[in-house]
Amino acid sequence: MTSSARPARTDRLRSARRALKHQREWFVELHERARAGERIALVNADTPHELLRAFDVPYVVNQWWASIAASQGGAQRYLDLVAMEGYPRDSEQYNAIGLGSLFDPDPATAPWGGLPKPFLILGELTGDVSGKVFEAWATDPDITFFPLESAAEPLVADANWWDTLSTDWERLTGPDRIDLMVAEMHELIALLEATTGKKFDPAKLARIMDLGNEQADWNRRTRDLLAKTTPCPVAINDSIPAVMIPQWHRGTEWARDAARRLFEEVQARIDVGYALAEPERYRLMWIGRGLWFDLNFYRHFEQTYGAVFVWSMYLSIAADGYARRGSNHLRALASRFIGFHEHLYVPPMSAEWYVNQALTHGVDGVVHLVSDDPRGSWATTRALRAAGVPVLEMHADNADESTYDVQAFRQTVADWLDGEVTTSLGARGRRWEHRR
Amino acid sequence: MDAYAEDAPQDAEGHPVVGSVGHDVPVELVWAAGARSVRLRGHPAWDRTRSATYLGSGLDVATASLFAGILHGAFGHLDAIVVSSDCDASQRLYYVMREIRRVEPEIGLPPVYLTDMLHLPRESTARYNVRRLEQFRQMLRTWFRVDPLDRLGEATALSARIVSLQRQFVSVARSEVLRVTGEQALAVFGAAQRLEPRRYAELLAALLAVLPGMPALEAPRLFLTGSSHDRPDVYRQIEEAGWLISGEDHDQGQLALQRRFPEDTPATAELLEVLARVYRDNGPTPQRASIERRARHTAEAAKHARADLILSYVRDRDDAPLWDYAAQQRQVDVPMVLARNQHYSALDTDAMRRALSTPGRTGASA
Repeated sequence: MTSSARPARTDRLRSARRALKHQREWFVELHERARAGERIALVNADTPHELLRAFDVPYVVNQWWASIAASQGGAQRYLDLVAMEGYPRDSEQYNAIGLGSLFDPDPATAPWGGLPKPFLILGELTGDVSGKVFEAWATDPDITFFPLESAAEPLVADANWWDTLSTDWERLTGPDRIDLMVAEMHELIALLEATTGKKFDPAKLARIMDLGNEQADWNRRTRDLLAKTTPCPVAINDSIPAVMIPQWHRGTEWARDAARRLFEEVQARIDVGYALAEPERYRLMWIGRGLWFDLNFYRHFEQTYGAVFVWSMYLSIAADGYARRGSNHLRALASRFIGFHEHLYVPPMSAEWYVNQALTHGVDGVVHLVSDDPRGSWATTRALRAAGVPVLEMHADNADESTYDVQAFRQTVADWLDGEVTTSLGARGRRWEHRR
Repeated sequence: MDAYAEDAPQDAEGHPVVGSVGHDVPVELVWAAGARSVRLRGHPAWDRTRSATYLGSGLDVATASLFAGILHGAFGHLDAIVVSSDCDASQRLYYVMREIRRVEPEIGLPPVYLTDMLHLPRESTARYNVRRLEQFRQMLRTWFRVDPLDRLGEATALSARIVSLQRQFVSVARSEVLRVTGEQALAVFGAAQRLEPRRYAELLAALLAVLPGMPALEAPRLFLTGSSHDRPDVYRQIEEAGWLISGEDHDQGQLALQRRFPEDTPATAELLEVLARVYRDNGPTPQRASIERRARHTAEAAKHARADLILSYVRDRDDAPLWDYAAQQRQVDVPMVLARNQHYSALDTDAMRRALSTPGRTGASA
C-alpha cells in the first residue's frame, strides 16, 4: 500500500465556500418567498430552467435537493416517506428522494427546513420511471406536472461534438427534436403566462441566454486550465459546489460572476504552485454522479494516497455542454437540454467525450461509478481501456447509502491504485516518483 | 440440438426478415416494404453472461435475454433489427447494438435502427412521430429498395383488420364466458407478432368460426398486470394452480386491442399522419403511460375480465409497474396483490403462494 502522502491542504476554495453560503441564503429567502405566497417550481436538471427565470419564477433543482438530502442524512427519511405512500423505496432513488418532501409531516426537522411546496413540476420523461416520480407529485391538487418528451436520435450526427456544439447545435442535436421541444416550450410559456399573469419577454430570455453562455465560457477556461495543470490545485469536493451551485442559478449575473471568480481563483492557486496533495501520485478521473453521502471518499484518497480527482462531469459538462450561440433563443435553449443525456450516457458521443477528457487531462486512471439507471457504462469503459486508460467500475447508487459499505468501497479503490494503476504507470515510464 | 435455434423464423417465400424489439415498431411500414416482421423474444434458458457484459445489470432481464438470443444467432438470419423506444431497456439495447456495430463489427450484427415513437397526448408529439415515420420509411427504402408508401394503405388496412379480429376473439372467448385459457390467449396474441400477417388473419378468422362451440371454462378468474410476458411460463404456473387468467394488460397480450385505426382507409398522403397517432396512443404500457392512465385502464380491463383477483407480476429491474401499483389498487374494486422482484419468465413459488392466498398487501415496497 502506498500511504505516505503528506496530509492534503484543507483550505477550501473561496469560490466553493461562497457558493455554499449563497445557496444557504438563497434557500432561506426561498422559504420566506414561499411563506409570502410566491409560487415555487421544482425542476429536473435537464429541463429549460431559463424559461422560469424569464418569468421570475424561483425554482429548485430536483437533483440538487436530492444531493442536499443525501449529504445531510435525509435520503432515508424521504425514501421511507415515499414507500409509505405505496411507491417503491428502491427505484430511481435519486429522483424519488425529492418526492419524499411532499409527504413530510414535519418538514421543519428535515435538511435545510425541508422543501417549500412547489406549484409546478417540470420534468422530462427519461427512462421508464422518472415521469412517474414527477407525476406522483401531482397527486396533490395544488401541483401541476408539466412533462417534456425525451426524444432519441436514431442516427449519430458526429461523435466528436464538444468543440463545435456551441455553434453547430442545430445539426448536432437534430432539428426534429428541437422542433418538438420548442413546441412544448410554447405550451409551457402559455402555462406560465396564465399562472403568473406576466407576458413572455423574448428580450429577457436573450439576456438570460447570453449570461448562461458567458458562464459556460468561464467554466471552459477553468476546465482547460485544470486539464493542463500538474499538480492539481483543486479538490473535487470544492469544484463540484463551485460549479454546480452557480449552474442552478444559470442566467444570472451572480452565476456568471461566480464562474469567473472560480477561474481567477484556480489561476491564482496555479500561479503560486498550490498542490492539493504532495506528492501527487495518481491523477484520476471520476465518471458518474457525485458520491453525495460519502464526500469524504475523495478527501480520503487525496490525503492517504496522493490520489487527486482532477476531473468530474460537473465542471466538464458545464464547460462543453451548455454554451449555445445564435439568435433563435428558444431553439438554442431546446438544443441545450436535448443533448445532455446522450453527451453523458449514450455512445458514441459519451464514450468519445470521456476518452478525449481522459487524454487531455492526462489521467492515470478512471473510477467509473455505475448506478443502475445511467446507460452506456460498457461503451465508456471499453473506449477508455481501448485508449490505454485503466478503469475501475464501481457499482453503487450515488444517493442511497443503504447498500453502501464504506470500507469495502474504499479498499477496492485502494487495491486498484496499488495494482493496475501503479503497474500501468510503470509500464508507461511515468511512475509517480518521476513525474515532477 | 442448438439450444439457441428454436426461435429462428422461417420465411418460405424468401422475403427479408426484420427482427423487431418492443411494442412500438410500426410493423405496417415493414410489411409495406415487402419484409416480414418478427418480434424478438428471449428464453429463460439462454445464457445471459455475454449479453450482461454489454447491457450491465440494471435493466429488465427479458431484454437481456433477447439480446443473448441475438448474440448467439438464435433468430437465424435477420436482414435488420428495428428497435422501438417502448421502454428504457429497448433503448439501451439499441444504443449498445449501434455501438457494437461501430467498434466490434466482427460480431456481425445486422443493420439496426430506432423508431422513436413518443406518447404524450399532444399534437407536437404526433408531428414528431410523423417525421420519425418518414425517416423510417426512407431507411426501409434504402435497405430493401422498395418505397413502403406504395403499399402502406394495404398494410395499414391489414393491421386494422387484425386488431378487429382480435377484438372479436376477446369478445367471444374472453369476456362473460371464458372459452380459452390465459395461456392459449397469450399464444393467439403472440402469433400476431411472429406469423406472416395475412396468414395470421386467416388462422384467427378460422379460430373465430369454431370458438362459439368450445366449452366454457370454469375457475376463479385472475387478471394479470405489471410486467409483460413474451413466454407462457408464468401463465402456466398460475393456471396450474387452479386459476384462469381472464385478462391482462401487457404489450404481448391484450394491449394490442388498444390500437385504434380509422374506420375508413386513409388516403396515401394521410397514412403517416394516421400511424403517427396510432403509435402515439399505443399502450398504455407501464413504461410509457402515466400512472393515472395506466390505473384507469387496468381497472376497466379487470372489470371487463370479471376478475376475482388482480395480480401485479413485476420482474426484477422492471420498475415502472411498481409506481403504478398504489394507484391501480385505489381504482380497482377487487383484491389486488403484488409479486415483485421476479425472475424472467417465472413466478417464484413463495410469491405465488402468498399472492394467491393472502390478497390485500399494500404498497410497492411490501
